[in-house]
Amino acid sequence: MENKLHVKDLTISFRTSNGKVQAVRGINFDLAKGETLAIVGESGSGKSVTSKAILGILAGNSILEGGEIIYDGQDLLKITEDEFHKIRGDKIAMIFQDPMSSLNPIVKIGKQLTEAMILKGKARQRESKEIFNKYLKQLNRRMVEALANGDSAKAAELTKKCNDFNKFEYKHLELEGAYNVARHAAEEASTEIASILFEIEKNALHDGIYRIKQVKEKAKDSINPWVVSDRAEELLAQVNGWVSEDATDDPAKLAAMKNALKRSTIVKGLKGRTSFEYTVAALTKIKEILDEALTLKQPNFFAMGYYLTFSGEKEAPKMASIPELNTYLRGYLDDHFMLSFIADAKEALIYSAQVCKKEMKEAVDCLRMYRGVFENENLDKKAAYDAHKAIAKEVMEALDPMSTTKDSLVYTFGSGMKTEIDKYFNGIVKNAAETARYDKQKAAYDALVAKGKTPDGEVVPASLTDLEFVRNTILHQIDRMIAHCEGLVAATETRDYDAETVALIDFLKSNASGVVNKVTKSVAKAKAIKLMEEVGISEPRKRYNQYPFEFSGGMRQRIVIAIALAADPDILICDEPTTALDVTIQSKILELINRLKEERNLSIIFITHDLGVVANMADRIAVMYAGKIVEYGTSEDIFYRAAHPYTWALLSSMPDLDTNEKLDAIPGTPPNMIYPPVGDAFAARNKYAMKIDFERQPPMFQISETHHAATWLLHPDAPKVDPPKIITDRIARMKAKRGDKE
Amino acid sequence: MSNTPETLLKVDHLCQYFGFTRAVDDVSFEIKKGEVFGLVGESGCGKTTTGRSIIKLYNITSGNIYYKGIRIGAGMKSYKDDIERAKNEYKEKVANATPEEAQRLKAELDAYVADRKKAMNEAKRDLKECDKAYSAQQVAEVNAKYEPLMNNANPELVQEYRNELRKAKRARLSSQIQMIFQDPIASLDPRMTVREIIAEGLIIRGERNKKVIDEKVFEMLERVGLVREHADRYPHEFSGGQRQRIGVARAIIMNPELIIADEPVSALDVSIQAQVINLLNELREEMGLTILFIAHDLSVVKYFSDRIGVMYFGKMVELATSDELFAHPTHPYTKSLLSAIPLPDPVYEKNRKRIAYDPLVEHDYSVDKPTFREITPGHFVSCNDEEFARYQAELN
Repeated sequence: MENKLHVKDLTISFRTSNGKVQAVRGINFDLAKGETLAIVGESGSGKSVTSKAILGILAGNSILEGGEIIYDGQDLLKITEDEFHKIRGDKIAMIFQDPMSSLNPIVKIGKQLTEAMILKGKARQRESKEIFNKYLKQLNRRMVEALANGDSAKAAELTKKCNDFNKFEYKHLELEGAYNVARHAAEEASTEIASILFEIEKNALHDGIYRIKQVKEKAKDSINPWVVSDRAEELLAQVNGWVSEDATDDPAKLAAMKNALKRSTIVKGLKGRTSFEYTVAALTKIKEILDEALTLKQPNFFAMGYYLTFSGEKEAPKMASIPELNTYLRGYLDDHFMLSFIADAKEALIYSAQVCKKEMKEAVDCLRMYRGVFENENLDKKAAYDAHKAIAKEVMEALDPMSTTKDSLVYTFGSGMKTEIDKYFNGIVKNAAETARYDKQKAAYDALVAKGKTPDGEVVPASLTDLEFVRNTILHQIDRMIAHCEGLVAATETRDYDAETVALIDFLKSNASGVVNKVTKSVAKAKAIKLMEEVGISEPRKRYNQYPFEFSGGMRQRIVIAIALAADPDILICDEPTTALDVTIQSKILELINRLKEERNLSIIFITHDLGVVANMADRIAVMYAGKIVEYGTSEDIFYRAAHPYTWALLSSMPDLDTNEKLDAIPGTPPNMIYPPVGDAFAARNKYAMKIDFERQPPMFQISETHHAATWLLHPDAPKVDPPKIITDRIARMKAKRGDKE
Repeated sequence: MSNTPETLLKVDHLCQYFGFTRAVDDVSFEIKKGEVFGLVGESGCGKTTTGRSIIKLYNITSGNIYYKGIRIGAGMKSYKDDIERAKNEYKEKVANATPEEAQRLKAELDAYVADRKKAMNEAKRDLKECDKAYSAQQVAEVNAKYEPLMNNANPELVQEYRNELRKAKRARLSSQIQMIFQDPIASLDPRMTVREIIAEGLIIRGERNKKVIDEKVFEMLERVGLVREHADRYPHEFSGGQRQRIGVARAIIMNPELIIADEPVSALDVSIQAQVINLLNELREEMGLTILFIAHDLSVVKYFSDRIGVMYFGKMVELATSDELFAHPTHPYTKSLLSAIPLPDPVYEKNRKRIAYDPLVEHDYSVDKPTFREITPGHFVSCNDEEFARYQAELN
């Protein structure tokens, strides 16, 4: 399975007035696509800190001691804040424990849902424009380099082709934009009419007149050559004539009727009157027309754009059906433009790849050459910075300008490496200062002690940068880069240029649509309402205009989930999402998260202190204690074959429906992480602790392919210990229960 | 149910309205001496309000609360409603009645209103007098104990007699009911030391002897698993589980018979939850406590309670012993609630189906209103005639 996220040796501590708190002490895990990983542990075990590190929102006093979080080829601990903006929320989203504190109490729900969409939409529009122009220019340049061979006529022809592409692409978007607006209006009007009719039937129509007016406007908007065209007049007749039909000849009666309509917010009083009957009939008719329009297929606007721009015709040819029209247009486009354009683009791509291969090889040589500088134990400042400059330049040059996917490893290499070099040389200065401070304070402290006084407070130990560690990180970065570049060079032979050409053209198309497709308020609203429906909020249109306090706890959590999903993230981090909710709501929210995971193929990190909750959710579970993962495995491994005493303790301290014996509470409290224990951190609370548990930290023992645990009990020389009776009993009981059911 | 142990608390048609919100609507139950009565339901169903109404944190709207047979809480709305209704009926009837008949009706109305008003005044008087009567009784007991000794009393004994007398005068029936709150942080005053927090109740009830107070505080601290040294610390110096222990110590120092535990473990980590539950269990055995246990975690409630009442939107929908309730859930809401409990068993969990509950779909109460009925001995369900028959058939 594809790995989305890879956390390696992550170590985080916090600077506090009492000393350094070691919150996370070297944890490793990875997250596959479409998988739920649950991280379980007591408060203070470092589970939330881990999730915050992934999102880059650690508190200001945190120190990243080491390790890496690899997402999409880049190390999230090394990238800049600007780069993080593109990941946080867009790619990795988070749901917090308390929905009330993650919503703004004085802003309407609708605004909170759409705010980010609109802002991001604007930014994306600008970005798309830049990208489209840049790539088209590059493509043009490479085409000329690859095919023209100095022939200026050929070059001009190629340039014209690119310009043509630009031109009809614009037409395409114009057409498609108009179509989308109309179709969207038709969809909205149809659903709204359905709900009005339903409410009329139930005698509970609110704001009748206002809503019917709105529907009329919406229905009008849906008139478009490709949505409602043939029946446009019929539709207009229904829209405009829905009251006047009953007007008879008596203006007084008509006025009275209109008044009645205006006055009553509930149309109840209208039943039986002709105008009312007529309204219902008109709405039904409009709905029928719209529904029919909605079944129509979407024309190929891309091809149509070309046809309308270059064939000289003002309108698309008349065809019996849209699929037929599409075939015709597609054929026209392929014959006149597309096939030759694709062939040329492919040539350009191959040429570009060859150029890059050469440059990539040069970059590898350069990397190899300068690696020596960093192998030296005492780095020379000038040499190090010069080497970095040279390497970064070479590596950046080797990037293929035609590649549509950003090679983020290469992209962030320069800045990442510079950060480390800065750290090294700053470290030299800072270490000296810190040591001096510590020595001075310690001397003063000792002098006081020697006098027999008890000084208040303690001397804060010197916080030193591990220079060796930093230097090794730099070497590691270079090695990884070399491996990466060599991998790319090797891959050039096996690349599928046909597929890449198509991908490139699709990429251009999607960026072009990004330029034209504005995220307006109404588009964002439609998207938000769709999302609200998806997360199970009834009457989303009404709810859209409410404030957070008008929502119950479960509904609020749904809104937070909807906001998190608005950007269509890859990874969703749920930090105790149901702890503040009660059983029924908890169950509903968990079902919702599970359903969304299936539908969107999300990867989820689910953080909780309650093992009971995750049995349903998790594919794999990692149990954390005192900043370390003490056991991880599939959820069956953890629940049926738990091996670590801490997992046993967690399992046996919660009652289930058949528990009658005394609960096995875990005695004591978690250790103080300013001075973490030398041995196993859980030893002091562990009734199975052996002598070695207090002296040495246990390594991760592998139990099965998926199941690992860090406890000395698994050592071959350790005495055999069975899990507590309360757990084995429960497993047996569960088995019996299931057996009965099957 | 009548010949089982003494009824400690009786809640009789309790209603608690906040404006138009019917937080608790016509809830009745009894708690026997020495049992743990669990109250479950989703948030906002009125279980906490019920607890708070019992301890008189709210003025109840209508209904009665009896503690050891003495009325300690009563609401006036039902009496007023009765009078209002009678007056309306009278108006309707009198509109087309002969003068003689009208006179008779008027007399009837007057008699009824007088009766209701009398009952209302009685309730009011009970509320006023219950504590007075209790403290008078305490005073009498103290007098009976010390008066014979007063003839040749030394000053110390006189002092002791005075102390006891003062405490007896200040005694209140309601101090026998104590509450443990959900949030261990918010329910402890951050500016008071643990000693002050725990001793506060004793001081209010007239204890002035520092030595006695300290003794008692230390005893309570040790009883809940803390140590003497903790007495001079402030609440923020404790972890969540320890804070909840302080809350427990504060409640039990008054030597209560009934404890209302309002979600005492919901805010705690799972491992700490077990510590607090075990503590409550021990105290219950040692002190013979009766506990009204309010929680939404059904596994914990099942583990801890003898009988359980299920609430839904202010109404009690089902009440039974905990084994019976979990073995034969009858009301559709209870079924839905039980189906939502997560269990530590992945294979079972992956196939678990939650049963949805929608009162409009499940019940047709348009004609026949539901009442709270006993289906099998000790098992009560809110249902109407048709459902009553159906549920009984289901259980047999």
